[in-house]
Amino acid sequence: MLTFRMRFWRALTVLLLCFPGAARAQHLLVPMDDEQSNHLKAYGLTYAALLAGGRAEWLLNYRGGSFLLPDTPEIRRRAGLDGVSFDAIDDGALNDIRGVMANGNMDAVPLEKAPKIAIYTAPYSPPWDDAVTLALKYAGIPYTPIWDDQVEHGELAKYDWIHLFHEDFTGQLNKFYISYRGAPWFAEQQERSLATAKALGFPNIPALKKDVAEHLRQYVNNGGFLFAMCGATETLELAIAAQNVDIASVFADGTPVDEHADEKMDWSRTFATRDAHLEPSPYVSSMSDIDGHQANVPGRRQPLGTFTLFGFSAKFDPVASMLVQDHRNVIPDFYGVTTSFMRRTLKPGVTILAEEPGAPWVKYIHGDYGKGSWTFLGGHDPEDPQHAIGNPPTDLSLHPNSPGYRLILNNVLFPAAKKKPLKT
Amino acid sequence: MHFIAGVACALALAFAPAARAQENDAYSRGELFEQQSKFAEAAEAYTQALASDPAELPAILGLERADAQLGHLDQFLPVLERAIAAKPQLAPLREAQLRSLRTLGHRDQLRAAYERWRADVPGDPTPARSYSRMLIAEGDLKGADSVLRQAQKDLGTGRGFDYELAQLRAASGLWDLAAQSWREAVEENAYLDQAATFSLVSAPTAARPSIVRALQAAPVTVSARRVLASLQLMWGTPRDGWESLRVLPPDSAAVVAWGDFATKAEEVEAWLVARDALAAAQHASPEPRALARAAYDALRGGDAAGALFLATLGERTLDSATAAATIVPVHVRALSQSGKVADAAQVLNAYARFLRPADRAPLDRVLAWGWIRVGDVAKARELLAHSDSTGADALGWLALYDGNLAAARKSLRPDVESSSEALAALALLARTRADTAPVTGRAFLALARGDTAAAAAGFEQAAAELGDAAPLLLMTAARLYAAHHSEQQAVSLWSAIVTKSSDAPEAPEAELDWARALRHGGQTQAAIEHLEHLILTYPQSALLPQARRELELSRNGILPQS
Repeated sequence: MLTFRMRFWRALTVLLLCFPGAARAQHLLVPMDDEQSNHLKAYGLTYAALLAGGRAEWLLNYRGGSFLLPDTPEIRRRAGLDGVSFDAIDDGALNDIRGVMANGNMDAVPLEKAPKIAIYTAPYSPPWDDAVTLALKYAGIPYTPIWDDQVEHGELAKYDWIHLFHEDFTGQLNKFYISYRGAPWFAEQQERSLATAKALGFPNIPALKKDVAEHLRQYVNNGGFLFAMCGATETLELAIAAQNVDIASVFADGTPVDEHADEKMDWSRTFATRDAHLEPSPYVSSMSDIDGHQANVPGRRQPLGTFTLFGFSAKFDPVASMLVQDHRNVIPDFYGVTTSFMRRTLKPGVTILAEEPGAPWVKYIHGDYGKGSWTFLGGHDPEDPQHAIGNPPTDLSLHPNSPGYRLILNNVLFPAAKKKPLKT
Repeated sequence: MHFIAGVACALALAFAPAARAQENDAYSRGELFEQQSKFAEAAEAYTQALASDPAELPAILGLERADAQLGHLDQFLPVLERAIAAKPQLAPLREAQLRSLRTLGHRDQLRAAYERWRADVPGDPTPARSYSRMLIAEGDLKGADSVLRQAQKDLGTGRGFDYELAQLRAASGLWDLAAQSWREAVEENAYLDQAATFSLVSAPTAARPSIVRALQAAPVTVSARRVLASLQLMWGTPRDGWESLRVLPPDSAAVVAWGDFATKAEEVEAWLVARDALAAAQHASPEPRALARAAYDALRGGDAAGALFLATLGERTLDSATAAATIVPVHVRALSQSGKVADAAQVLNAYARFLRPADRAPLDRVLAWGWIRVGDVAKARELLAHSDSTGADALGWLALYDGNLAAARKSLRPDVESSSEALAALALLARTRADTAPVTGRAFLALARGDTAAAAAGFEQAAAELGDAAPLLLMTAARLYAAHHSEQQAVSLWSAIVTKSSDAPEAPEAELDWARALRHGGQTQAAIEHLEHLILTYPQSALLPQARRELELSRNGILPQS
């Protein structure tokens, strides 16, 4: 009886949504400026529209990077459930919007396909949280977790978008050995990683991670989209450059770092950086001088400021524009194992998406590599600037309008775009 | 020649006090100028003050302040050199030198100054301590480590550097070693306990067990245990904190530690932990006032029986006047809450002549509520009629219990500290136009007596009596059923509200409670259906944020952790 009642109510609701008479329009405009009550769920709504086979448009620079979705009962229903604000508009109103956009630095990018997303994450849970996993879960965007064995078995090609987070691709477990060697979670992580390496035929963790890094490099080279945050950015670069040199400390692989490692690094292979210097000491929680903030090295730690998103031409540089769509241009910075990228270590041609004005580092970078592209965002959690190991994960229902998390979700939708040639 | 020398000496002696007075004046002028932010004039005055004694410390420090403000610290350095040459043993001069060189960024000279100081006072740990603290503050942990190691080697001991080592290790994230050093530092200087606590409290969760082990290790000492207990309190485990302190031998130092800990526990509302600490302190060193405090803490923590025991114990040891002012009020409250209202009245009467009217009135009200809880409304009414209590709300409640809504409406007023019971009553009085409702009154009385089952049934029946407030009464009944683990009855009422009174403000409330109950019962899909229905049906409801959050949780979204 109860179920019947509920079904009745649901059916009635859907009927009302389907035939609201005058309320029905042809399009739903999902504004992404301050009028939006839940920015993060709006990305999930758009993704769901694409997943259902619908088409969407990303109105770059129009009201904070709004989305234009078809007006269907299901989309209305989901928007209502998720608390996503929308305006129902007809063709006339849409024409007016297109007129406004034509005369400004705005453009509409068609979104055609819900990208298949994988997150490279350990099947066991380390004591930190992954901002991307949090963002995708909160927005309701499906993803597949993958780990070393899937990468080694060539499964990367199944996905349009790969996300990397806190992984240390140098295989040194973020050099937490000194501080956390007695912690049960660290011992467990070390044991499991080593077991995985052995099972896959590698002598130690650094050897396995170096090979995983090479798979990721090839994935991008062959046309994949890669998004990395926090320590994964810097260590992926180091692992790729160190393909033929030992950069792992003795506690990680049983042999000391190659004395001439710095000179032997092959920066021609990396995505974003060049000529960086490795941190040789196993006792210093830093990998190299790529990171500007060095959050885990007390003597070198730099204070947090704010970073500013660059404005790009929506008509001529849609990719960079998509990646910086936000309702805020200036965003408080946040620490991570790698927080930022020193300008002097960046390769020419890297697109800087966000920087701290006047500082020797930048926050958010992007570039093409082979047939694919990569994006790096420094820092761990946009809503927890000082995040420390063991802290509780951020509850995004308390931050539905987070401008920092929007940057992550921009990257999720960007592979959905029907790409236009870059004209600049 | 002798004559000339003699005259010179005489003149010198004659003018010396005058010169000293001038220098004192100069120093005072310097302070005055400094207060007026006239730093150039202040610097000049301090320089004059140094004329006869180049190492006069107050003037040196004044000149340092003024020159720092003027950006002239480089000019201050030669003055310091002269002062140090005059009094090489005076540590504050050396520290001022290190500070100035650090501010100026003269790293090499800073190190050289430290080395000179070290060479001038062999065997003294002060140079290494000052310099290493400076390096730690700057974040140069490697440098600080090297300085401390060298000093330990020079002095042949690690003692004396515990504070610096503790800071160094905490800054390096070596928490277990930091805890060991802090332990040694607080053994030497107990006043460092707060510094130790604040240094270690930021340790990540994973590192905390090693800190606990270091501070718990034998031998048990008061200073280490105090630090540990404070840490555990700040980490949100007050019971562990008390367990860490409880093992101390009951001497005077332990009594002080227990008392201090109780105060901190009260600040975080860990009432029962505070109760135990105070009771232990009073057992070791009898103090009736501490006993009264312990009894109050027990009562606040919901332990009426414990409060009763402690209050009775305290009352025996005090004279009547002191007891009336300290422990009798908590004794009366504890008896009343335990249902022993007649005993409470007896205690109150026994001390009647020692109680001022202003102190008596609130106790009469406590007693009146006690009578209500045991079901004797007549006695409560009688007591309040003869009491000096001006609490109109008590009379309002009595009117409500009688079903006299008109009288209750006049007397009951909202209060910032209104209980959920009071809010329910006020909501009902605002909702209905009826003036009498005996069934409703009895339901509220049952609630006051703590008879939840009878109250729930009463509110359900009362819905027939007050049709204009029926959804509100049913909602109240459903909540009580749910609290009483009568899920089935609660669901039946929620269902009735959602389907038959869908326009009532209680409808989304009922659906939210229903969904929550379903989720907690593992019926996630049904919970999701209700939450979706709520959100889509009542888009303007103030409960929507809560409903969306519940929906997140039901969909296995982000689980909040704390």
